[in-house]
Amino acid sequence: MKEISDLNFSENVKYTKDHEWAKLNKDIVTIGLSDYAQDQLGEIVFVELPEVGDIFTKGDEFGSVESVKAVSEVYLPISGEVVEINGALEDNPELVNEDCYEGGWLIRLKPDNLLELDDLMDKAAYLDMLKG
Amino acid sequence: MTRNNQTSDSKKTVLRSCVFTDLNTLEYTRALDRQLAVQNIKISTPSEPDRLFFVEHPRVFTLGRRGGRENLMVSEAFLSSQNIKIVQTDRGGNITFHGPGQAVLYPVMDLTRARLGVADFVNGMEEIMKQTVLEFGISADRDPKNHGLWVGRKKIGSVGISVKKGISIHGLALNVCPDLTPFSWINPCGLENVAMTSIAMEKGLLTTSDQEKKDLMDRVCHLFVHHFSNIFDIHVLGEPHV
Repeated sequence: MKEISDLNFSENVKYTKDHEWAKLNKDIVTIGLSDYAQDQLGEIVFVELPEVGDIFTKGDEFGSVESVKAVSEVYLPISGEVVEINGALEDNPELVNEDCYEGGWLIRLKPDNLLELDDLMDKAAYLDMLKG
Repeated sequence: MTRNNQTSDSKKTVLRSCVFTDLNTLEYTRALDRQLAVQNIKISTPSEPDRLFFVEHPRVFTLGRRGGRENLMVSEAFLSSQNIKIVQTDRGGNITFHGPGQAVLYPVMDLTRARLGVADFVNGMEEIMKQTVLEFGISADRDPKNHGLWVGRKKIGSVGISVKKGISIHGLALNVCPDLTPFSWINPCGLENVAMTSIAMEKGLLTTSDQEKKDLMDRVCHLFVHHFSNIFDIHVLGEPHV
């Protein structure tokens, strides 16, 4: 595992305590795993994602990632309906390791309530949590 | 793993503890129910201690979350005739076999509280097996491409876990003195042409008596607990029932 100082934390996303990130673009929120999460997981070999149209509540398990013989659940930062999944991960799950904030995004959601984003951490707060 | 390296033995501060239970011989699904129950308690009550289960299963094949039935090389009717079930699980990895003479260790552990990444936890589990077989004079290696523990090109131990809200279940399985025949009915872990081995086979102990087999399993149980404690810097409460 890398030192926290060697990891990349995007300024343009909000973070959860479970190490997912969320980014608002117009009225759609993109969700992924933080650089800290992918580093902790190790080499990711499979990503299990929901179906487009699935509806979730904040905190729900919406999929899983398998790495190094370990399956880890992933959780939704906000409530909403899945409008797109990252199909590239089916053949190239390692994108989550290589490019977690861009090519390795997981799903896109139409959020129920944008105010839920306010409950998430900015980069500084997330770093404080990791260092704490 | 790195935590061990950061602190000298003389200054080591044991911060956490876990409770050990020897489940003796227990059906796979019943042992899984125990783990799931503890996992749920730990998710709702984070102050609950970690738990460590040692167990030996009656014969069973288990599938990973993504399956592995395609790596079963015999018919399910044949398995029924052998009275062996196939159990779908949510762990990582592919199909594997558990049976008498195989030492299984299931830590239900709060990885977040332990500040352990999943990758480091799996490495640590493999290291427990590596250190254990070393005590029998067997030199084995981990392989980052094909996880588990290997003696040359033969596999002696496997690992597979799942993590929910930071709490692990499932664990490791080390071949101590099992009948390895059922492994020939599958591609273990989805790998073709993989030969399996065991501590008994490596040490030429193939005609061991029931008492000798029990003594071997008891010794492995003690070694598992010892190395688990050292590798994860965790104090283990409770003693193996030996």
